[in-house]
Amino acid sequence: MTATQLLFKNRRPGETVFLSGYRATGGYHALARALREMSPDEIRQLVKASGLRGRGGAGFPTGIKWTFFPADKPNPKYLVCNCDEMEPGTYKDGELLRADPHQLVEGMIISAFALQTNVGYIFIRYAYEQQAQNLRRAIAEAKAAGYLGDNILGSGFDFELHVHGSAGRYILGEETALLNGLEGRRPNPRLKPPFPAVKGLFGRPTTVNNVETLANIPHIVTGGAHWFKDLALTVDGSGTKLYGLSGHLQVTECFELPVGIPLRQLVEEYGGGVWRDRKFKACLPGGASTPYLTAEHLDVALDFNSLEQVGSRFGTAGVTVFDDRTCMVAVTLNLIRFFARESCGWCTPCRDGLTMVRWLLETLETGQGSLEHLALLKEQLQNISGTSFCALAEGAMGPLAGLLNHFEQEIIDHIKTGRCPFDF
Amino acid sequence: MPTLTIDNQQVTVTQGTTVLEAAEKLGISVPHFCYHKALGAVGACRMCAVTVVEGSQKGLKMSCLIPAEEGMQVTTGDERSTSFRARVGEWLMLNHPHDCPVCDEGGECQLQEMTIASGHGIRRYGGKKRTYTNQDLGSFVVQEMNRCIQCYRCVRTYQDYCGGRDFGVMGSRNRVFFGRFQPGMLQSDFSGNIIDACPTGVLTDKTYRFKSRFWDLQEAPSICPHCSLGCATIPGGRLRELQRVRSGINPKTNGYFICDRGRFGSGYVNHPERPRQARSGDQKLEITAALRQLEQKARELTDTYGPEAVLLLGSNRASLESNWLLQRWAAELGCRMPLLSAHGPRHQAAQVAAFDCSDRLATLEQVRSSDLVVLFGADPLAEAPMLAVALRQVVRAGGSVIAYDPRPLELPCEFDHQALTPLQLHELLTAEKGPEVGRLSELLQQAQRPVLVGGGDLLGATGLLQLLKLAKRVSSLQRACLLHPLLGGANSFGAALLSPAEQDDLLTRLESGRVKMLVCLETDPLLEAPAGERFAGALARLDELVVFDYLPTPLSVHASLFLPTCAPVESAGTFVNNAGRMQRFAPVIEPGLPIAVTGGGDHPPREFSLATPGDQPRPAWQLLQWLRDDNRELAHVQQQMVVKLPRLDGLADLCAGDSGLRVRNVAERCVVVEDLPEQPAGTLQLVVSPARYGSDLGSRFSAKLTPRFAPAILRLHPQDATLLELQDGEQVVLDCELGSFKFRLQLSDQLAAGCALVENSAAFPHLLPGAVLSFCSVGSEVLHV
Amino acid sequence: MATEEEKQQVGYLDEEQIVEFIRHANQLEHPREMIIDVLRAIQKNHCWVPDEGIELTATILGLTPLEVEEVATFYDKIYRQPVGRYPIHICDSVCCWSRGGEQIANHLQQQLGIEMGQTSADGLFTLLPSCCLGSCGCAPGLMIDQCFHGHLTVESVDEMIEKLRQEATA
Repeated sequence: MTATQLLFKNRRPGETVFLSGYRATGGYHALARALREMSPDEIRQLVKASGLRGRGGAGFPTGIKWTFFPADKPNPKYLVCNCDEMEPGTYKDGELLRADPHQLVEGMIISAFALQTNVGYIFIRYAYEQQAQNLRRAIAEAKAAGYLGDNILGSGFDFELHVHGSAGRYILGEETALLNGLEGRRPNPRLKPPFPAVKGLFGRPTTVNNVETLANIPHIVTGGAHWFKDLALTVDGSGTKLYGLSGHLQVTECFELPVGIPLRQLVEEYGGGVWRDRKFKACLPGGASTPYLTAEHLDVALDFNSLEQVGSRFGTAGVTVFDDRTCMVAVTLNLIRFFARESCGWCTPCRDGLTMVRWLLETLETGQGSLEHLALLKEQLQNISGTSFCALAEGAMGPLAGLLNHFEQEIIDHIKTGRCPFDF
Repeated sequence: MPTLTIDNQQVTVTQGTTVLEAAEKLGISVPHFCYHKALGAVGACRMCAVTVVEGSQKGLKMSCLIPAEEGMQVTTGDERSTSFRARVGEWLMLNHPHDCPVCDEGGECQLQEMTIASGHGIRRYGGKKRTYTNQDLGSFVVQEMNRCIQCYRCVRTYQDYCGGRDFGVMGSRNRVFFGRFQPGMLQSDFSGNIIDACPTGVLTDKTYRFKSRFWDLQEAPSICPHCSLGCATIPGGRLRELQRVRSGINPKTNGYFICDRGRFGSGYVNHPERPRQARSGDQKLEITAALRQLEQKARELTDTYGPEAVLLLGSNRASLESNWLLQRWAAELGCRMPLLSAHGPRHQAAQVAAFDCSDRLATLEQVRSSDLVVLFGADPLAEAPMLAVALRQVVRAGGSVIAYDPRPLELPCEFDHQALTPLQLHELLTAEKGPEVGRLSELLQQAQRPVLVGGGDLLGATGLLQLLKLAKRVSSLQRACLLHPLLGGANSFGAALLSPAEQDDLLTRLESGRVKMLVCLETDPLLEAPAGERFAGALARLDELVVFDYLPTPLSVHASLFLPTCAPVESAGTFVNNAGRMQRFAPVIEPGLPIAVTGGGDHPPREFSLATPGDQPRPAWQLLQWLRDDNRELAHVQQQMVVKLPRLDGLADLCAGDSGLRVRNVAERCVVVEDLPEQPAGTLQLVVSPARYGSDLGSRFSAKLTPRFAPAILRLHPQDATLLELQDGEQVVLDCELGSFKFRLQLSDQLAAGCALVENSAAFPHLLPGAVLSFCSVGSEVLHV
Repeated sequence: MATEEEKQQVGYLDEEQIVEFIRHANQLEHPREMIIDVLRAIQKNHCWVPDEGIELTATILGLTPLEVEEVATFYDKIYRQPVGRYPIHICDSVCCWSRGGEQIANHLQQQLGIEMGQTSADGLFTLLPSCCLGSCGCAPGLMIDQCFHGHLTVESVDEMIEKLRQEATA
C-alpha cells in the first residue's frame, strides 16, 4: 500500500493504539504546537485554508462552519463530535475509533482551543460500545497526561470532554436531532434558524463536527494547509478520505486513500473487483442516501464536486457495490424501508410519504405493480424531494432518484413479467 | 415594514411576519395544520406550502416558516403548490379511518376542511393502515388515536403552552402516539384545551360525546363566569341543554385557551334541581304574578316602614346591567341604595381595583408579555387559573415570576416562592426598608415591563392599597409598574364600580332590625357572605325573603318569593373583569328543561303543548325592567347607563365576541389604610383559599367537575404540627371566630409556618376566602371537648 | 452470568448506582441529559425496562414518568417489553442484505422457532431487526449484548446459538 496514511497510520488488525503508542508516532505534538505557537484564530484560518470538508456526509467546509461560531463569546459554548455513524454502508468512524481513539481526542482539544470552548461531547451510537470504551480510556489517559482538564500544557486553556452514549436511531446523526438527544429530549430535528452556532446545546453556541473531520485537525496543524490540500488527487479536493467498502466486492474493508481516487481503482485495486466473477452493476458511492452510480460512472473521481456533476454525492464515502444479479428495485426497497423505519415522525413527507413509497416499491417488487404505480412513484419522488423538515427524507430520495434515472426499465420488467426478474 | 405580493395582491406587514400571516391579512387562507397562532410555527405538517417566485429563497416553501421580505412575490394557487398540498393531504389521510359519520369532530373538523381544500379526494395508498389501542384519559377527554395526523398540536398545547407534564408524545416514525405514560385522568388544570387544539377527532370532549352535531349546535360568544379574569368562551347547547364550552379567542384576556374549570364547569345550567318555577311559599306562580306581588309588597313596606325596610342585594354573579337596574329600582321605590355584594371585604378589595388602581391595571395580555411578575397573596390555579398559563409564557420568554404567598403554590413554570404568612405579607408590603424589600424593589426597577399581581382575598383592600404604593414606588417616567388584582367573581369589578365608596355591610343592616324584606339578586349570602351562619340567624327576623337566581342554592329554598332567572348563557349582558374590561356575552340557548330530562334520557315525550317545559326563567335585567315599568330593551338600558356613568363609555357599542373595552380611569380616592389586627398569642393565622374546583358556585353545581373535587383537609407546616403534637393524616378540629370545624390534617413544608390553611369548596362551604384576617387554633379531635 | 432469578432479585438499579446517579444529576443543570444513561443501566441489570424502571428514572432525575417515556420509546435499543436473555439484533440494512442477511435471519427464525420480535420458548433469545450496525465490511452481521458478530454463515450462526445456550445453562 503506497497511499499516504494519516488517520490509519497506527491501525493494526485487531489492535487499538492508546497513549504510548499514539505518542510514539508523534501524537499530541500537534496539540503542543497549537497551544504554544498558534492563536485560536490562526488555527481557524489554517483549517479554512486546508479546504477540509465535513466528513459526516454533507461535506460542508469545516473552516467556514467554524467562522459561524462565536469563538469570542463567553462560555458555556460547546464542541460536539458526531459519532452517530448509522448510515448503511458507513463504518469508517467506527474503524478509526477501534484503531486509534486518541486522534479524535487530540483533534477535539485543538478544535476546542480554536473555537475557545471549554466543554466537549462525543455523541456515540449504541452499537459502538467498544469504541466508546476506547474513547473513555483515551480521555482518562489524556487527562492524566495533562492534555485534558484545566490549564492544558500550561497554556491556560481548559477543556473537559465527555462521552455520551445513545440508544439507536439514525436520526440522531442529524446535528440538531443529536443536540436534542444529548439534552435528553426527543431527538426530533430542530427548526433552523437559529443554527447551532447561535443556539445549540442547552441553548448555547455549539459546533457539531464528524469524527473523521476532527481527527484530521492534528494532521493539518502538523503538515500545514497546502500539504493537506495536495494530498487529494482532484484540483478542488483536499486531504485523504476513509473509504468503507461493502456489498458485492471481493474485499470489503475500509481504506484511507486520497480524495479524488477514481471509482474504478477503488473497486478493482482495493476492492479486488466484484465478487463471484460477476459484473459491476451499480454502487452507492457515499452511503445509503446517495444516488446510484452505474458502470458508466466507473471512471469518475470520488470527490464532492465530481460526484455532484454526475448527479450523485460523495457523502460518507461508504461505497456499497451491487453485482449484475442484483435487483435494483429490491435494493431501493431495502433502503426505503430503512429510511421509513428511522424517520423520527415529525414531518409529513418523511413519516407518511416514505410509507407511501415503501408500499409502492413493495407492490412493484412483488410483481403486483402497474404503470400507474410507477407514475405514482415518480410523483412521490417529485413531492418528497426538497420538501421535508430535515435531510432524512431528502436522503431517502437519493436512491429512489437513482432507481428512476438509471433502472426504470427494470421496474417495467417487474410490471411486465408480474414478478421480480431476479428471483431465480 | 416589508411590502410583498401574494397572488398578485400587495400587502405591507410588520417585520418578522410570516408569509402565511401576510396571506391571511389579504384574506388568502393557506391550508395548514401544525401552525397555530398561540403555538407558533414548527414546520411539521408541510401543508402550508406556497411558491416563492421572487425572494431570497425561491421555490416551494413552507409559508409558516419564511418571513415576509420586501419585494417578495408569492403564489399560493400555482400548479406546484397546489399539487404538493394535495400530496400532503393524501399522506395525512393514509391512515385516517373513514369514520366521519360516527366521529364527534365531524362538521368542525379541520382535517375534513383541509383535505377538501388541499384537493385530495381519492385514496391511492393500498397498504395497511397503522392502528393503535386507545388510552383512557379520564372523564374529560376521549382519545381515538387511529384518527391522528401527527400535527403535534396537542402536545404543544398541553406541555409547551400550558405546562402539563403527564401527556406527551411517544414512539417514533409513523407510530408516534400521543397520550399518557399510563391510562388515567389527565392531571393538568388546562387539559381540555387539547380538545380545541386537535384538528380532527383524536381528542374530543367526553362530556359532550355523541350529544350533537356541530351544525346542530347553538353557539354564541360568551364570558366565562367562574373567576374574575373574564376569559372568552363559546358555549354550545342544543335541545335546551348546555352541552359544552370551548375556548373563545380574546388576545386581551385568555388568548386562545381556557381552564378546565371554565370548560367543564357549566353543568349548573342543566342542574337537575335548578329552580325554574316562580313561587310564593309553596304556591307556583306565573312570573308576572310573582313580580306584581314583589312590587306591591316592596312598595307597601317602604311606604310603611321607610327606606330601610327593603334591602336590595346585588352580586358579582349578576351582570353589570342587572346590578345597575337594581340600583335604579331602589331609587324609584325610595328605599336605600342597594348593596351589590354580600361579601364586604371582597367588595372593598374590588373597589380598590375599580377606583384607586384604575390607571395602572394590566390586562392578562400584558401579564403574558411582562418580564417580571410578582405575586402577592395570589394562588393563580385557585383564584384565576389562566393567569398561571400567562405566567408560564412569561418564563418561556425568559422572564421571571416571584410569589409571596402562604400557600404551597404550584405553577406550571419555574418560579421563586417565598412562603409568608398573611401578616408577614402585609409587613413586607408596608416595609420601606429591609433586605427582601430592597432586593424586590431593585428587581422591579430593573424590569422593563413589571406587573404586580395582588390576590384581593388575601390582601384585602388594605393590602391592595399597599401594593399600589409599591407599584408607584418602582414606576419610572419611562414605564409604569402595572397591577393585576384578582377579585372574587366574574363581575366583582362591575359591582364595585357601581357602588358608592362608603357602605355598611349586609349583616350590619340586617341585624339593625329595620329590614323587613331582603331581595337577593343572583346571590346566596348563606354561601357567599363571609359569616354565613350569622346571616342565617338574621334571616329569621325578615318578613319577606325574595330570591332571584338560576342556581339551586339553599337560600332559594328558604325564599318566601322566588323568581327564576336565566343563567349567563341564556341571556345577554356585560361583566367587567378584574382588569376593568367590560365584556359582552350573548345568549346561547333558550331557558327550558332539557329534552334529555323531559324524555328521561330516552326519546322526547310525545305530549305536545304550546309552552316549553321549564321556560319560565327570564333574564334578571328583564325582570327588573318590568319592576321599573319600563319595557325597553337592554341596548336602551346600556345607553342610559353610559349617560349616568361616563366611566362606562362605549358600553352600548360592545359586541359579544369582541375583545371588550376598558372602563375609563378615575382619580384615586382618599382611603385611609386600616391597621391590621394583632395576633393573639398561641394562635395560628387562618388562611381560607378557594379550592381549584367548586369554590365558585357555578363550578360547585357542575357534576362534570366531580372528578376534580377535593375532600376537605386542613394543612399545617410540619413545624407547627410538631409544636401542637399533631400527626399527618389525623383528625383535627379548627377553632375560629365562626365556629369549630373538623378536618383531616395534611402537613406541607411548602406552607408558611404559623398558618392553618383550609379550602372553601362543596366539601367545606363554611368559611369563605377574602374575610378579614383572622386567627384560629388547631387541636387533635380526640382531645377536643 | 446471573440466572434469570438472580437478575430479578438484583432489581433495576442497586443502591450504589442510585446514589451515584442522584449525585451526578444534582451536579447538572439539566439532569434530563442522563435519561439514556439511567435507562441503559437499568437494562443492563434487568434485561429490559419495565414501567417501574421508567418511574425510577423519573424519580432520580426529577422528571415525570411521561417525560422519561417520551424519550425511552423513541429509541429501538431501549426495550420497553420483555426480551430474552440475549436480544439478537439482526442487521437488515443494505450491505448485510446484499450478502445474505435475509437468509441468516430466516435461518435463525427457523432454528429458534420464532418470528422477528418474538422470544424463544426457553426465554433465551429475542430476534429484533436492526438498522445498520456500522460494521458493513463484515456483512452479514448481528449484535448481541453490544457485541458485533460478522461474516455470518448458517454454520457460524448455529455455532453461536449453541455456545450461548451452553453459557446460559452453565
